[in-house]
Amino acid sequence: MIFQDTIAAIATPIGESGVGIIRISGDNSKEIAQKILRSPKGEKYTDLKHFQVYYGKVIDPSSENTIDEVLFFYAQGPKSFTAEDVVEIHAHGGMLLLAKVLNICLQNGARLAEPGEFTKRAFLNGRIDLIQAEGIIDLIRAKTEKAHELAIAQLTGRSTRNLAAIEEELYNMLVAIEASLDFPEEALPEVEHDRLVKKTTDLLVRLKKLGKTIDEGRKIREGITIAILGKPNVGKSSLLNLFLEEEKAIVTDIPGTTRDIIEATIQMRGIPLTLVDTAGIRYTENKIEQIGIQKAEELISKADLGLLLLDASEALNPADYLVLDKISSRAKLVVLNKADLPEKIDLPSLQGRAIEVDTLVRISAKTGFGFDSLEEKIVEMLGLGELRVDDRPLLSRLRHQQAIEKAILAIESYLAGLQNKLSEDLLAVDLRAALEALGEITGKKVTKEVLDNIFAQFCIGK
Amino acid sequence: MIYDVIVIGGGHAGCESAAAAAKMGCQVLLLTLNIANIAAMPCNPSIGGPAKGHLVREIDALGGIMGRLADRTYLQMRMLNTQKGPAVWALRSQADKFLYQREMLKYLESFPNIQIRQAEITELLFNTKQEITGVRSQTGLEFAGRTVIIATGTFLGGKVFIGQTHFPSGPMGQLPANELADYLKNRLGIPLGRFKTGTPARVRRRSLDFTKMTPQSGGYQAHGFSFWQQLEQRPEEKCWLTFTNEKTHQIIKDNMHEAALFSGYITGVGPRYCPSIEGKIAQFPHKEQHQIFVEPESIDTDEMYLAGLSSSLSEKVQKEFLQTIPGFEKIEIVRPAYAIEYDVIPSEYLKPSLELRAYSGLFAAGQINGSSGYEEAAAQGLLAGINAVLKLREEEPLVFKRSEGYMGVLIDDLVTKENYEPYRLLTSRAEYRLSLRADSADERLTPYGIKYGLISTAETAIFNEKRTKIKQAMQFFVDTFFTPNAEIQALFQRHNLAFPKNRFSLADLLKRPEISLDFLKELSPNCEFEVAIVNEAATQIRYQTYIQKEAEQVARLQELEERKIPFNLDYDQIANLASEAKEKLKRFQPTTFAQATRISGINPADLTALLFYLENQIRKR
Repeated sequence: MIFQDTIAAIATPIGESGVGIIRISGDNSKEIAQKILRSPKGEKYTDLKHFQVYYGKVIDPSSENTIDEVLFFYAQGPKSFTAEDVVEIHAHGGMLLLAKVLNICLQNGARLAEPGEFTKRAFLNGRIDLIQAEGIIDLIRAKTEKAHELAIAQLTGRSTRNLAAIEEELYNMLVAIEASLDFPEEALPEVEHDRLVKKTTDLLVRLKKLGKTIDEGRKIREGITIAILGKPNVGKSSLLNLFLEEEKAIVTDIPGTTRDIIEATIQMRGIPLTLVDTAGIRYTENKIEQIGIQKAEELISKADLGLLLLDASEALNPADYLVLDKISSRAKLVVLNKADLPEKIDLPSLQGRAIEVDTLVRISAKTGFGFDSLEEKIVEMLGLGELRVDDRPLLSRLRHQQAIEKAILAIESYLAGLQNKLSEDLLAVDLRAALEALGEITGKKVTKEVLDNIFAQFCIGK
Repeated sequence: MIYDVIVIGGGHAGCESAAAAAKMGCQVLLLTLNIANIAAMPCNPSIGGPAKGHLVREIDALGGIMGRLADRTYLQMRMLNTQKGPAVWALRSQADKFLYQREMLKYLESFPNIQIRQAEITELLFNTKQEITGVRSQTGLEFAGRTVIIATGTFLGGKVFIGQTHFPSGPMGQLPANELADYLKNRLGIPLGRFKTGTPARVRRRSLDFTKMTPQSGGYQAHGFSFWQQLEQRPEEKCWLTFTNEKTHQIIKDNMHEAALFSGYITGVGPRYCPSIEGKIAQFPHKEQHQIFVEPESIDTDEMYLAGLSSSLSEKVQKEFLQTIPGFEKIEIVRPAYAIEYDVIPSEYLKPSLELRAYSGLFAAGQINGSSGYEEAAAQGLLAGINAVLKLREEEPLVFKRSEGYMGVLIDDLVTKENYEPYRLLTSRAEYRLSLRADSADERLTPYGIKYGLISTAETAIFNEKRTKIKQAMQFFVDTFFTPNAEIQALFQRHNLAFPKNRFSLADLLKRPEISLDFLKELSPNCEFEVAIVNEAATQIRYQTYIQKEAEQVARLQELEERKIPFNLDYDQIANLASEAKEKLKRFQPTTFAQATRISGINPADLTALLFYLENQIRKR
């Protein structure tokens, strides 16, 4: 945040809207625009005129694939919102699309803007006058001073505790090394090498797992996928339609399949969800159909949640078991459809198929009965309630993930060093790198923490 | 006569200042309260250890005195951290404190352009432009000088505490420098801070029973601190190890209320790394024993030093708890342990050159700047001496970057942020630890020493020859290839080492941490470089990858170091700085953006505001 590099972010609120704006600000704005924007005929823009609105398309320069058709303009600093060179791209609304356009900007030289950074730049560049500034200053200060606090609050409670615990253990390791390096003549407790290796391996597993739970950033960027599964005629299409009615979905067909796999994007609690009606798992001899089924299975395995639809009005049959055996999504929810009819399904027989019977929901896709509790259950299972949708989570979660990835790499290198019996001065470099990375989330400064900990933990002194 | 440089104080800082200025051709006056106490070691007569040993090497590489004298006066010398990697290998010596003082006096007296005088300085003299013009002594004698370096150590406003008793005093029962403290406080208006330190009792060697203690030997050392001389092998004096026990702790606990430290009399802040025994017991009540090193101070005295037993308890209690320690049953105290409080100049009054911001030509070095330790003092003395001369020559001051040396870390930490305790250098404070090795001190700093005339022609020749040899040795490692054959395979197997399948160089092998230099020697017996050369060349190759990693980690810092903040920037012009940040920035006057980031209480919003302001200024121009 201290460098005057080029920043980019989605400038409109996340959620449903017809148009979304991506704003780029900084010296390289124009250059980035020229890289990722093409005229309708696919030509590059050799120059962009100040404040002229262009109609064109955003492409991925690595593949030249079109991402979206857009309107955009270029404003040359200081006559712009931030007083820097600015490009604003007005794309179609919808989180997935905007996130894709933003990603293209980031891949082509922009850095993700910090919360409030455009305003901050506008202010600091003297773009906003004093009266405005006085009103805004508190906001800016509040944002930066509380940034770490907020960043932490955005992690779910458990993740925060897990991260704090991991950080603490890493500090213990580094502090033990640093104390022994700086105070070799003190009788300090020694840590057994094998135990250290085991502990580090364990920490690595925990951090990777934590990285996955912070996957919420990914969930927002890429959206969450829910697969609807079930034998033919169990009511999948009706359920999908119910979602569509309730949530105003956009429906697209997935090409390359004979049996239609229908994908629909909806917003639930402001988070984009992709529903996939897989239609197809059943016995078939038709080769083309088999390819379709394979594709469906692939989608299921990638899904964040699988909704297993069963007909409550009849007993389980082999067609149900076939579907049951194919469920490989990350989480599963059993949905008993046709709850408006007398229940005949034999629930205990679901036991032993890796299905938690107590996570089932009864609905009637026909009447709409139970939809609210289904939605609640989905929100609960995907942790959507914990995802806060404003301009912050998207930004900081991406940073969290980057920080955790950096830490993981550093710890892997530390572990390799331990196993190769590298000397402590070298091991400390990797441990410090890991803690510096985590410090980007927790706000701790390594050198100070290390010294404070050495004197708090060890009795040192002549 | 008008001296070029007047140094007040003949401790480790003052001596280095005087010698550096003299080597640079200046007329120097060194003033001390008592000539018998030149370069005294009022605490542990030990020089070196992690970070401190690195500092001694750097002092030596830059042309200072401490390294050579330590090498000529040691009672025992030990290499610490040998199992932990070359970046933290650290030499530590136990010095013969009387011999060190005699050698220092002899050394300083050998300069025709250094005059040493015994005098208590009570006043500084300035012209109307706040430029220093000289000093005045207690007896009214005036000495004219173009620059003055204050290096008063713990003497400035010194006050000693023993149990419930306290009285104005310098260390070791010497006179304190109270009038000068008053002058700085009341006449110059510098709000002096108050720090505290302490030292353990000195006891009579003949009263100790060494059969109950474990002897500690330093072992043979081929090389000392100095780059410029062969290490003279001196007869070793042993140190001894013993431990406190429950009885010791009980007596201390029972008398805790009596300790000056807990009595409320002491206002000065003590160092965390140097706690008193009562402090240790209060903070770590469950620790069953504390180690005590009994160390010789000189072959010319029967006194011994008790490392680990610094205390502010009364003499009676001191004797009582000492007697519970194995080997100390019949102990005789010669000098009691005491705590001492002294005045320090707040860091914001200092420039990175160690000149005072408000007074042209006035420098300060050593404990008066909030540091602790002989080595930290000596390093500052050396730099203050050099910078006083550079000031006279109207040249840019010598200010090291944190990446260049521990000296850079030390000065930067001392002058750019508030220090809440006496500052001790530690290797963990150095971001560039892998590059700041003791073995590379000459490579990093000697070129400066040569440039400023602190390194003799003979020493320059030694330096050039060594650097050439190291380059040759590195080239030898890179160029010496082996094609695996049965004989080589057998050698690897004998040492239980994995066998390389393809043609390999010695440099390739060095990247494998399990390969020792002895193994390399066996594999390549025709390597004719001496051990020290091989070691350093090998370390450079071995550390390459990690030094790069370290460099990446601090790349951002480097960029910030290069962003300069103009002198006398009007921080009130920056409308959206928080008032706390404004106040801190005005106080510390950081010269680079990186320094500003290290000041506590300045948060990212302030830094951004500052940065954008500076950028805008540049654009406007």
